[in-house]
Amino acid sequence: MYKVRKRIGSVISVILKLIVSFIFIFPFLWMLSVSLQSDAETQSMSLTLIPKVLQFQNYVNAWHSAPFPLYIRNSLLIIVGIVVLQMLIMVPAAYAFAKMEFKGKNILFGIILIAFMMPIQIRFIPIYFMMSDWNLIDTLWSQIIPHMTDAFGIFLLRQYFMQVPDELIEAAKLDKSTDLQIMWKIMLPMSRPGVASVILLSFVGHWNDYFWPLVMTNSDAVRPITIGVARLKATEGSLFWNTIMAGNMFLVIPVLIIYFFMARNIIKSFTYTGIK
Amino acid sequence: MGEIVLKNVTKKFGSNTVIQNLNLTIKDGSFTVLVGPSGCGKTTLLRMIAGIGPQTSGTVCIDGKDISEVAPGDRGVAMVFQNYAIYPTMSVYENIEFGLKNNHIPKDKRRKLVDDACEKVGLQELKDRQPNALSGGQRQRVALARAIVKQPSVFLMDEPLSNLDAKLRVQMRVELIELHHKLKTTFVYVTHDQIEAMSMADTIVLMNEGKIMQMDSPRKLYRDPDNLFAARFIGSPAMNIRRFGNEEYVLGFRPEKGIISTQEPQGCYRTSGTVVAKEDLGSEIHYSVRDMYDDVSVIRSEEDDITVGEKVWIGAKPENIYLFGNDQLRIREDDPRYPDLCRQVLALQ
Repeated sequence: MYKVRKRIGSVISVILKLIVSFIFIFPFLWMLSVSLQSDAETQSMSLTLIPKVLQFQNYVNAWHSAPFPLYIRNSLLIIVGIVVLQMLIMVPAAYAFAKMEFKGKNILFGIILIAFMMPIQIRFIPIYFMMSDWNLIDTLWSQIIPHMTDAFGIFLLRQYFMQVPDELIEAAKLDKSTDLQIMWKIMLPMSRPGVASVILLSFVGHWNDYFWPLVMTNSDAVRPITIGVARLKATEGSLFWNTIMAGNMFLVIPVLIIYFFMARNIIKSFTYTGIK
Repeated sequence: MGEIVLKNVTKKFGSNTVIQNLNLTIKDGSFTVLVGPSGCGKTTLLRMIAGIGPQTSGTVCIDGKDISEVAPGDRGVAMVFQNYAIYPTMSVYENIEFGLKNNHIPKDKRRKLVDDACEKVGLQELKDRQPNALSGGQRQRVALARAIVKQPSVFLMDEPLSNLDAKLRVQMRVELIELHHKLKTTFVYVTHDQIEAMSMADTIVLMNEGKIMQMDSPRKLYRDPDNLFAARFIGSPAMNIRRFGNEEYVLGFRPEKGIISTQEPQGCYRTSGTVVAKEDLGSEIHYSVRDMYDDVSVIRSEEDDITVGEKVWIGAKPENIYLFGNDQLRIREDDPRYPDLCRQVLALQ
């Protein structure tokens, strides 16, 4: 009886997982499908899931209808800039919050958590004025500087660093390490999964960011790929969904590649139990 | 080379004073063990010397130099932690080398020093391993090698054997004693285990509630305790005690000095009771006897026919009896109260 019940349980669990996976994967598969359909198929009333002939020409059309190499270059510059600056700022901040004692530590951390809870839409007007005062509107910098630090990243790294035993830091101090050395040579290598997920979350978030670059830029020269893809709609005049979806694939593919490389670390970081 | 002097040191955690105005001199080249129950301040003292938990007030000197303001890495001390504190992302070699690198020692010299340290603790074969591929004993050796390689004038050890199994602990104990002989530097060792303290130390500092209760050689501490705490803490099973003279005084005798017999012993302190347990450990037999006040332990090395449940007499000769006053301090032979108290003890029933 117990065995049967266990069987039924596992069957139900598999079905539920399939349903959830389907909900998440279907839009993506549909996007892929549409990106390979002919114009007639996208406009016909009956739903096409598997195109009769794969229309790779859509990708070529999309690539040529906007300056994609420029957009991708901009996106990469912005992302690398953000990630590098974030690491330089967030790692020491998280280390200080996790392992140092100083006056006002809890209040400061509370302020960071409040920032974490506040959506960007509330903050963008003052930041816009700030960028405008610094003459940074319509530059890559206005898309990098406001994201130099991230409350959630500091929070996540701090949680990781707190798991590093104090004795290790004390041992390192007796080994004549500076705080900087302790951070880079001991804390960071021990928190690799955490660092990887912070980088990935930041990458995905900013790669897909549409709102911020839309506010901060006026010209193609500094625009990232998200704006480029959205502009496919405008340049094409009437809606060619297959071309738009092909453009969207340009947006998604880099994220997928990165995810496949880092998947193990990320899963580890969310199932982490501590350092033995 | 490595004399440590603590002068009027006080340590507070918030409003809680753990150590108050403590003075202690640890002799150069000694193997000094700080021992005491949990929370007595022994680890706090060690961390003060290391500089990783600095004193609230007072001074710490090594070789006559005040190091109170010196960073941990510049004090010439090395520390072995209870949980080893090995850097998990570095190999054994890198772990040992880390401190030397930070001290900017040239590479070829580093290699030689690391090799020497590995040899001293028997790690030659394991230099390229990662820490997670090591057993507890091997990790302990890495921690030791990491301390040795720095050639410190003082070794600080915070319960370094408590995570090892019983057999390995005994083996490491012997190895640490040998290492001390080889290196001839000052060892300061913290433990709550009185057997570790007795077997390794040349000087034991017995602590309780942030105060030094007695500081002596293991032998002197065992045979000639200054106070009731020292008498009760050192020795296992603990010294038998009984209050007398309107609860004002305490008498004590060690279990192995106790007499157990079916006949009433003469010229002794004596009490009678029932045997409640007889533990045969092979080389000796432990008896627990319940008299009208308490359980009394007696150890005998010879086999006899006393059985559990039997009525017996327990005795102790006057020369084996320790007397303590109401202030918990020892009353020795030269004390004016001693002869009278002795008579009282012999008349007790």
